[in-house]
Amino acid sequence: MMKKILISGMVIAGLSSVAYSDVKIGNPMARTGPIPELVKPMSAAVDLAVEHVNDQGGLFSDGQKYVAVKVDSACDPVAAVDAVTKLVNVEVVTGIVGPVCSGATIAQAESVSIPAGVVTLSVSASSPAISEMENGTDLVFRTAASDAYQGIALAELAMSKGIKDIAVSYANDDYNAAIAAVFSKAFTSMGGKITGNEAHEPNKASYRSEVNTLGSGSDNLALFAYYGSSGITIMRNALETGAFENFIGADGMLAQEVIDQLGAENLGNVTFTTSASDSSTDAFKSWKKHADAAGVPASDPFVPNSYDAAFLMALAIEKAGSADRSKIAAALREVANGPGEKILPGEWKKAKEILASGGSIDYVGAAGPQDFDKNGDVAGLFSKNTVVDGKWKPVVIK
Amino acid sequence: MEIFLGYFLYAMSLLTVGGIYALLALGLNVQWGFAGLFNAGVAGFAAIGAYTYALLTTAKSQFHFGGLELPLIVGDITAMIFAGIVATIIGIICIRLRADYLAIATIGIAEIIKLILKNETDITNGPRGINKIPRTWEHFTEERFYSNFPMNFISNPKGWEVFFDSIPKWWWQPFFACTILIVVIIIYFLLEKLRVSPWGRMMTAIRENEKAAAAAGKNVTKRRIEAFILGAVIMGLAGAFLGQHLRLIEPTQTFDPSKMTFLVWVMLIAGGSGNNKGAILGAFLIWFVWSSSELVTNGVIEILATMFDSVDISILKNRAGFIRMLFIGLLLQFILQRFPKGILPEKRPAISGKSQKYAG
Amino acid sequence: MWESFWFEFINFYFIPGLVLGCIYALGAIGITLTFGILRFANFAHGEIMMTSSYLTWEFVLVASSFGLILHPIIGAIPASICAIILALIVDRLFYKPFRNSPTIMIVIASFGMMLIIRSMVQVIWGPNQITFVKGIAKPNSIIKDFTSSIDIMLLIPNKHIFILLGTIIIMLIFNYLLSSTKIGKGMRAVSDNPNLAEVSGINVENIVKATWVVGGFCAAAAGVFLAMDTQFIESTMGFRMLLPMFAAAILGGIGRPFGAVAGGLIIGLAEELSAYPWLGDGPVISPGYKSGVAFSIMVVMLIFRPSGLFRGRVF
Repeated sequence: MMKKILISGMVIAGLSSVAYSDVKIGNPMARTGPIPELVKPMSAAVDLAVEHVNDQGGLFSDGQKYVAVKVDSACDPVAAVDAVTKLVNVEVVTGIVGPVCSGATIAQAESVSIPAGVVTLSVSASSPAISEMENGTDLVFRTAASDAYQGIALAELAMSKGIKDIAVSYANDDYNAAIAAVFSKAFTSMGGKITGNEAHEPNKASYRSEVNTLGSGSDNLALFAYYGSSGITIMRNALETGAFENFIGADGMLAQEVIDQLGAENLGNVTFTTSASDSSTDAFKSWKKHADAAGVPASDPFVPNSYDAAFLMALAIEKAGSADRSKIAAALREVANGPGEKILPGEWKKAKEILASGGSIDYVGAAGPQDFDKNGDVAGLFSKNTVVDGKWKPVVIK
Repeated sequence: MEIFLGYFLYAMSLLTVGGIYALLALGLNVQWGFAGLFNAGVAGFAAIGAYTYALLTTAKSQFHFGGLELPLIVGDITAMIFAGIVATIIGIICIRLRADYLAIATIGIAEIIKLILKNETDITNGPRGINKIPRTWEHFTEERFYSNFPMNFISNPKGWEVFFDSIPKWWWQPFFACTILIVVIIIYFLLEKLRVSPWGRMMTAIRENEKAAAAAGKNVTKRRIEAFILGAVIMGLAGAFLGQHLRLIEPTQTFDPSKMTFLVWVMLIAGGSGNNKGAILGAFLIWFVWSSSELVTNGVIEILATMFDSVDISILKNRAGFIRMLFIGLLLQFILQRFPKGILPEKRPAISGKSQKYAG
Repeated sequence: MWESFWFEFINFYFIPGLVLGCIYALGAIGITLTFGILRFANFAHGEIMMTSSYLTWEFVLVASSFGLILHPIIGAIPASICAIILALIVDRLFYKPFRNSPTIMIVIASFGMMLIIRSMVQVIWGPNQITFVKGIAKPNSIIKDFTSSIDIMLLIPNKHIFILLGTIIIMLIFNYLLSSTKIGKGMRAVSDNPNLAEVSGINVENIVKATWVVGGFCAAAAGVFLAMDTQFIESTMGFRMLLPMFAAAILGGIGRPFGAVAGGLIIGLAEELSAYPWLGDGPVISPGYKSGVAFSIMVVMLIFRPSGLFRGRVF
């Protein structure tokens, strides 16, 4: 019986790999885990990019189909390694768009994709550690700015609101611990005082005691957590007991769920930052047109970045001329950085024609110019978000 | 051609991880199969092994203790020693506890170990974990290794760079897999010898009827502790290999009890507890089922999608992971009820005949 | 206004600890009953708790689509009946075959059940959090005004009042059950000595079923109270509570239900009080170690006094 299962398993696995004339990329994202609500629209943005490519002529001169193979990396390094191993070996993908979380990105890059020579283009991993991790191979890129900048932006925001002392609580995981450290350092160097700086363990039922112990030192809280695993509970405990008046934090908290659960009327003094796009650029306007038509929320965190990543990967493959993994990294730099004809989101047909005639292009993305520096990083903007009319309203920080 | 290469490499990774789980199962078999100890903290010992190896062999980093850059073998051996030391402490304290209690105590201790690894950030870099862990065989391609003894005997660094650029990037994978398999085989033979030795037969006696064994003058507690330590040492080695396979370890998800401890228990029960061959068989089989079940579930959903156009499968696709878990759980229940002794039931060492061979 | 220390201590540390303790206590009762009468550690217990809260939410949702606004506690009644039925079915299909097998088999079966039940919930309702009760719970104004008029201001939101009162009521009913009813006495007999109980005419299978009913009901109550306190439900909420509940059952002594209650209260209080700034400004141990508090208590008990505070069974 085991043999039958084995054989049928291999057959089904083989069948599920699509026909050979498609060009496949891997798309591992944290579809389950602590931030599923944030990932859903990001995944939809990837789909939109794929749709644009295929509707406007596909890849190469014979119009091959661009396919994003979706797997779940669960914001977990082990799951990411397992999932990407299958993508690289069984699905034989040309490049990887994803993962979402920094820990997952670093793990799968070091374990699987770098040894295999496959390019990773993360949609949102923001840990500062990613800039340094590569050991000379040029295979890891991201379309989201490093937290080294968001932490500083948040500290500047706090200062500008007149906050002189603040308590910090961060969830004990890779992303939140990193950005908390950057924030604390920046805030102190700007003359602020950190009255308490404590980790907390996610997934607990009550944080009342932590909240009150921190609350005795300051009325302001800097909260670095994922909304789903501890963020909402901490805010609830703080609001119930009046331990804090003002809250700031980063993008792990920015979900509609927070407003739905806590009630907009209770969130008057809350500001969270996230990566943002400058909505006045032509690129963003082009993106917004397409996103609105497709029902994808154009300004939600990392959604434009996800579109940019999927679109850029397709441009790189087209530029490379074949699905050969070794050519992608160089091609990616060429299509993202220019010089060349500016390509906006959605302009696949135009880009294809220029490349076919031997010209150069410079993709300008929905989330920013998307020019990669020597580490594969990009610069980015951030927005501060407050609750207005029951929804998060962003204001870009320039 | 690339497809075959892909399948080949996937098979290599299955063998690698299967081998690591086989080591864990063999270690657990020493504790459970030999000595009847219900250790539910497997993940804790693996974590100790992995972290010890990582801290000793990684390069200097501002994030965590280290920079010792010791040879990899030293890392492996020290991982085993450390796991053994922790097991000694736990064993001396807890060994008298009965089955369920020992299970709960060991789970609790494994959780405490993880909490320590998570919170002592100065040493372990806390939740961000330790990365760039050197992997046996692949480490030859790293500058730190080929610039130094003994590789610089053979050629200078430039020569090595050229060499490694010329061979395919995945060359180390079969070597790594084979190394782990060889270790599994060596440990298997050592354990088999142990099983039919006087020590092994004494363990069986203790497990079957403790009171009688104690009455016959055997120091039950001491033997149990020995078995516990031995099992933990093997698990520590498995942890070190796991660290090499993942190249990034961190305290929460990597050593999650439902993935590690539970899965190893399933492997042992399914393969045949008390039987070393069964442990290895169970490990590879269950790991294969677990890993390929993702492909199978996706494939089944694809097929359903083509069959029923009207059904919205996107929800199913999102929840495919849980459907997979559901089936693994049901599979376990099925195995437990139909094959309680496992696929390969325990073989008792023969009383006469064989003992002649080992008596000398 | 009473001295600031007491005000903070009682309102922000002690009462929350008590509430958490009540939830642990109710869950631990089920665990200690299963441990005592069925003689195994039931790893699926947390999932019964979790399923009850999901079912409660579902019932309230369905009722509201007919225009009825139900308080969660009302919705909990059909939910607990369903949870009990689920526990009985699981016992029949997955645990009964192992009644006479070594304990390890049934423990692994319960581990497997934990994964099965959790996955089923995740497939049906999805893995995301679901809001159970919206908004922020403000302290009950009657109590606040009354107690501040006698100079000791107590801030207790309504949900906590429900939890504390509910636990007390359930305890009283449970006490009556164990001491004065035939089934209760039978349960105590089987827990002490199953062979003797059988010989003296008690139908052990019925007692087993009764155990699942009572344990399941307490688990359902614990699950609903937890959902009321945190105001959201999510598929890992049961598992997170599991190890502290085991700790509570062991602390109190296996097979001693009131020991389990005491154990639960102690552990709940210990967890919350461990983050209190006893010395100076910061908490004594890093809050990252908060979950370690329950584990450590449990491990210490197991080593030095496995029979627990109230001298329960030691196998």
